[in-house]
Amino acid sequence: MRVAETSKHDGGTPATAATAPSVPAAVIPARKRRGANREGLEAGRRSTRTLLWTLLAAAMVLYGFPFLYLLFTSFKTPIDTIAVPPTILPREWTLENYANALGRNGVLASFINSIQTAIISTVLSLLLAVPAAYGITRYKTLSGRIFIMAALVTRMVPPVAIGIPLASMMAAVGLADTPIALSIAHTTISLPLSIWLMSSFFEAVPNDLEEAATVDGCSRLGALWRVVIPVVSGGIAVTAIFAFLASWNEFLFALLMTAIRSQTTPVVIANFQTQFGLDWGSMTALAAVYSIPVILLTLLLQRKIVAGMTLGAVKG
Amino acid sequence: MRISDRRFALFLMTPAALFLAVFVAFPLFRLVADSFFKISPIAGGSRDFVGLDNYFRAFASEAFTGAGWRTLAYTLVVVTLEFALGLGMALLFTMLGRSSQIWRTVFMYPLMIAPIVAGLLWKFLMIDNFGLIGTLLHQAGILSNPNQIGWLSDPGIVLYSVAIPDIWLTTSFMCLILFAGLQNIPGDLIEAARLDGARAPALLFRIILPLLRPVIAVALVVRGIDAARAFDTILIQTNGGPQSASETMSLLIYRTMIRFGDPGLASAMGTIYLLGMLAVAFVAVATIWRPGKDN
Repeated sequence: MRVAETSKHDGGTPATAATAPSVPAAVIPARKRRGANREGLEAGRRSTRTLLWTLLAAAMVLYGFPFLYLLFTSFKTPIDTIAVPPTILPREWTLENYANALGRNGVLASFINSIQTAIISTVLSLLLAVPAAYGITRYKTLSGRIFIMAALVTRMVPPVAIGIPLASMMAAVGLADTPIALSIAHTTISLPLSIWLMSSFFEAVPNDLEEAATVDGCSRLGALWRVVIPVVSGGIAVTAIFAFLASWNEFLFALLMTAIRSQTTPVVIANFQTQFGLDWGSMTALAAVYSIPVILLTLLLQRKIVAGMTLGAVKG
Repeated sequence: MRISDRRFALFLMTPAALFLAVFVAFPLFRLVADSFFKISPIAGGSRDFVGLDNYFRAFASEAFTGAGWRTLAYTLVVVTLEFALGLGMALLFTMLGRSSQIWRTVFMYPLMIAPIVAGLLWKFLMIDNFGLIGTLLHQAGILSNPNQIGWLSDPGIVLYSVAIPDIWLTTSFMCLILFAGLQNIPGDLIEAARLDGARAPALLFRIILPLLRPVIAVALVVRGIDAARAFDTILIQTNGGPQSASETMSLLIYRTMIRFGDPGLASAMGTIYLLGMLAVAFVAVATIWRPGKDN
């Protein structure tokens, strides 16, 4: 896909069949064929559809069960949590685990660190990616093409390979154990993807827009800021969600680069095992709480997330 | 005075390029440089040039070669299962059409869960004694004893057990990409094949999969790279154990650095790992993708 895309940069030829999985079609595909006019792969016979629905229901139950079990466990009493044999539902529902987990030293601070780190990293990633992607797509220079390929290669770098030199660099400039240092590390992950995502959003903006603005006396930067950016604001939102999620869920850099002051919640969750013995109840409660903001975000912005996911994968 | 378009484009790209140069390229350079030294783990400690010694030590160590094979096996298992399950779900969703929309969204949720949480969750499901999976299999009459399978304690199978959370988390990703690809297969093509009497397997292998090839290639490469870097889920489940049976490359490098305090050796391992990933990715891109031939 990427290769097909770059060839588009050259001549601006229309997308061929190979570049086909464009997002809008992928996200709202079945719209076009409302009602009974089924075509292609869609199953028509009633018996077939019943069978398919049964299969889907079974898959969903299996797939959703692990997370539900985590939720149920978080409401069990500590003894019930490790009962032999285990039960699925709590015998007795309690909020004890939540009180234990959240009351523990450093847990609330770690939430604040996670939020801080994710926000700084998201802002940094957007500030760098939006102009870069615009420069790449709007002007189609050789350096732009080289740069977007280089950004793609960055995606193959294993975090463990740069984590340690990065940590010692941060220590050398006095940023050891700060949310800023971790945000920078997280931006090394989200920036390449952000550039790819934003490039495809800019690709969809017609050039006439800012040409009209420059004729009206806007500078190039002014046209970008006042005309183009508002048009791609939806794309910026998608990119921001991905940058935020990448930082929120990241663990390896957080483990390598944080000590007590800037520890994020994933590291605290992992530490539960060693520091406090196996307190499964509190661990599951904390894990559940940590997943809530993200699940809410997903509920609110599901369509955008699917769009970005498909685009991100197809492009980079 | 107006600057040229080319200058302006450069001006827009410079901050991001500088960022990647300072925070990715420079650490990588340090990694490669460190791999030629024997370094004391203590800050300000000794640093002696040893040439390729660290590389010889890496290749001579069983831990390293073992981790290499395990990473490969882990990646193959994760990507294969994910692809099979993801394709199955994508076909299911496609065949159900519009009415499956809500379920597609629900199916996406694991993607939002932190890998560390997923690892923890599955450890809890598979752990000896009070793990639910063993108990359920026992109650279903499949196992004679709930602890018959030591998911996370049997060195023979642990590498596959620790892969489960990864598969659980990212099958949705595979499904989503393949679903998007399936939407772009023209309906009349399928109709025509059906009229010609093509049955389901022929339809799948002769028409659908070949048409999906570019999408499949992207999905496999992207997920392959990610799976080969797996760290969080394995660390929290087994920490590489028992007896290093689930120690993949990322874990080994991490432990060489942190636990055994050998930055030089860890850097050499990291360099080899990085080169390996780049090589495999480029070969994959060149062969599966066949740039140019798609156009």
